[in-house]
Amino acid sequence: MSDLLNFYVDNASLLLEKSVATLSIAALGLAIALLLALPSGVWLGHRHAGSFLSINISNAFRALPSLALIAIGLGLIGLSLINIELALVALAVPPILTNSYTAVDGVDPDAVDAARGMGMRDRQVLTKVELPLSWPLIFAGIRTASVYIIATTPLAALAGGGGLGDIIVNQPTYHLVGVIAATIVVVVLAFAVDGLLGLVQRAVTPRGLALPKELQTIVPAADTATTAA
Amino acid sequence: MSTRFMRLLILLLAVGVLAAAVGCGGDDSSSSSGGGGGGSSSSSSDQPGKGKPAVTIGTKDFTEEFILGELYKQALQAKGYSVNLKKNIGATEITDKAMTSGAIDGYPEYSGESTATVFGIDKIYDSPEATVADAKKHYEARGQVVSNPTPFEDVDAIAATKAFAEKNGLASMEDLKKLTPSFTLGARPEFKNRQVGLKGMKDVYGIDNAKFKQLALGLQYKALDKGDVDTANIFSTDAQLASGKYTVLKDPKGVFGFQNVLFVINKPKYDALGGTAFMDVINKVNTLLTAEAMRSMNSAVDIDKKDPAEVAKSFLDANKLT
Amino acid sequence: MIAAAAVLAQGGPVIPNFGRGDECARSNGKFCLHWFLDNFDNRFLPRVVEHIEMTLIAVSIGFVIAFSAALLVHRWPRGELWFANLASIFYTIPSIAYFQIMVAVTGIGWTTIEIALISYTLLILFRNTLTGLHGVPPETLDAAEGMGLTRRQMLTRVELPLAMPAIIAGVRVATVTTISLATVAAFITPLGLGAPIFSAIQTGANTDFIAAGVLAILLALIADLVIVVAQRLLSPWQRARGGAT
Repeated sequence: MSDLLNFYVDNASLLLEKSVATLSIAALGLAIALLLALPSGVWLGHRHAGSFLSINISNAFRALPSLALIAIGLGLIGLSLINIELALVALAVPPILTNSYTAVDGVDPDAVDAARGMGMRDRQVLTKVELPLSWPLIFAGIRTASVYIIATTPLAALAGGGGLGDIIVNQPTYHLVGVIAATIVVVVLAFAVDGLLGLVQRAVTPRGLALPKELQTIVPAADTATTAA
Repeated sequence: MSTRFMRLLILLLAVGVLAAAVGCGGDDSSSSSGGGGGGSSSSSSDQPGKGKPAVTIGTKDFTEEFILGELYKQALQAKGYSVNLKKNIGATEITDKAMTSGAIDGYPEYSGESTATVFGIDKIYDSPEATVADAKKHYEARGQVVSNPTPFEDVDAIAATKAFAEKNGLASMEDLKKLTPSFTLGARPEFKNRQVGLKGMKDVYGIDNAKFKQLALGLQYKALDKGDVDTANIFSTDAQLASGKYTVLKDPKGVFGFQNVLFVINKPKYDALGGTAFMDVINKVNTLLTAEAMRSMNSAVDIDKKDPAEVAKSFLDANKLT
Repeated sequence: MIAAAAVLAQGGPVIPNFGRGDECARSNGKFCLHWFLDNFDNRFLPRVVEHIEMTLIAVSIGFVIAFSAALLVHRWPRGELWFANLASIFYTIPSIAYFQIMVAVTGIGWTTIEIALISYTLLILFRNTLTGLHGVPPETLDAAEGMGLTRRQMLTRVELPLAMPAIIAGVRVATVTTISLATVAAFITPLGLGAPIFSAIQTGANTDFIAAGVLAILLALIADLVIVVAQRLLSPWQRARGGAT
């Protein structure tokens, strides 16, 4: 235990530097995944179309082993940031896509009818009714995605470097205490990002929407609940 | 409907139990029973390994070690020993720990690595023999036994592409100080803090203008070729050096030490395996390992992409050790 | 060194000709089909078998644990968040770290790998089993009770069969996830399809990278497909709603 504390004290700046790198790598992956999956999922859900496509794309991406993607990247293009980012995007797309689709698609039809009845146009129905009601599930997907991403980013050390993975794969230099120390930092980062996104979620979700039990853990159930039936 | 469900549950559990049984049967990365396949009755002098407990040999994380592991394993099996080979355990620090913790019984280690990295001795030795003697002394004090050293040694070295070396007039390690303000040095992670590494380069040659770039072991030549690094840490018996594309810098002050291979094994296991009878098999292999032999085997694996087990087998067969 | 001198006196060891390797592999082409096919049996096939074994063991044992936990929680709901939070923490632990840490506890080998892989399966299997059980309509349970079924019979004849789709969906995700994590296991010992990948990280051999990567992806996709088919076969009353899993 004291070894662990000593490690933190002695290597504070190294850990800080590596944490920043980890977060940047993760942020880039999350951003790309959001760009690809969020608008498409929301739009398809809104149109109640393309469920077959989105569910199957999610399933296909989810089956891709991260290290296998990195390996193919290393074989084809060598050491590069693209390798890890590809793996991270593949990880993040399924929860975001599935959840945003399911959330918007599943909005209470009565609410949508009422909105239309009030004279709202299509775009407004989406932004004023469907999205607000969908945020909990959508955010659950984004939070799941970010946890997956942060926990997988250490693999970047194998593929061109960067981040806390540099310590985690380097037990010879940093010893097991270093591996454990860096791992704890990764776990803390994952919880922190999840917490942060939780705050954002609370900010955008209309009051009165209760958070179901399945969404209360660090890896919300939403990713899996929708795979049933 | 319920019976179908029951059937599924039972099927799943059966698969699980079956898989677990098969899996637990193969508890090591590669296990094999002793050789002596001829079926003829074996006199104990011919098959000293018969009846002895199984021995677990580990190897570190690069080609030469893989080959050494296979050489020892197959030579021992030919003498009736039961050998488990745990391949690719990791760098020196991890593999040594595996031995002292009992996860493996022994592994091939380099004499200079032993003194500098395992035992933390900051000394520069005058000769290979002195290095071996000191390593042996420390291992024995700690509870291990070592074999005779191999004729070949494989030292760390710094290399650059021929072009870069010519352009900058690099022939020896001291010349690196000329590369102002700095130069990049690509190496596996543990090189940075080792006495037989960057730290030693600073202490002994005063080279403090190196920018360390971490590379996974094995990517050094690629990085040199692409120009990702100016210099890289390589091993002197690497197959790639035969191509002539690289210049290896001389190490007149001997910071990288002498590095003959010793097979190190925990004493209790050594005794249980028959002591000198066991070590004789290892030593017979070691005497064959000249620099030329090692380099050609490394080349077969690294350049010609042959399997280390096959290469080891060919070598042992040719030298009548199997 | 004296024994060495003796050997050298007779002209040194016999160094056989190991044979020139496949030209494509020598020049490290992106993917050397010939070399791959030549070496498939001894280099890749055993890894595929190991990988499948690793996955089967992990998912089976994980299922037994998670399923039991779910049944317990179904009966005593207090424990749900507790188990779920515990199991979900594993998702924040990078597998490459978890394997190394377990080595310190259970050594280098199958036990370590399986303990780590099982940990990662627990959340999904637990969650989905519970979701499936909770998804049984109360009217159905009332009807069953009305028919005089005991609690045990209700569970085995009504609830579990109806929960099947969700349970199998969980097994599907757990299997695919385990196949992915099992590639990382090779960091500590060369087992499974991760072994050629980590080997290639050292040697730079492109064919190893691509062959192992593609094989791992194929394995995951095929496993996924097999489970989907099994799911369809076992619950034919579930007309796929818009192709949902």
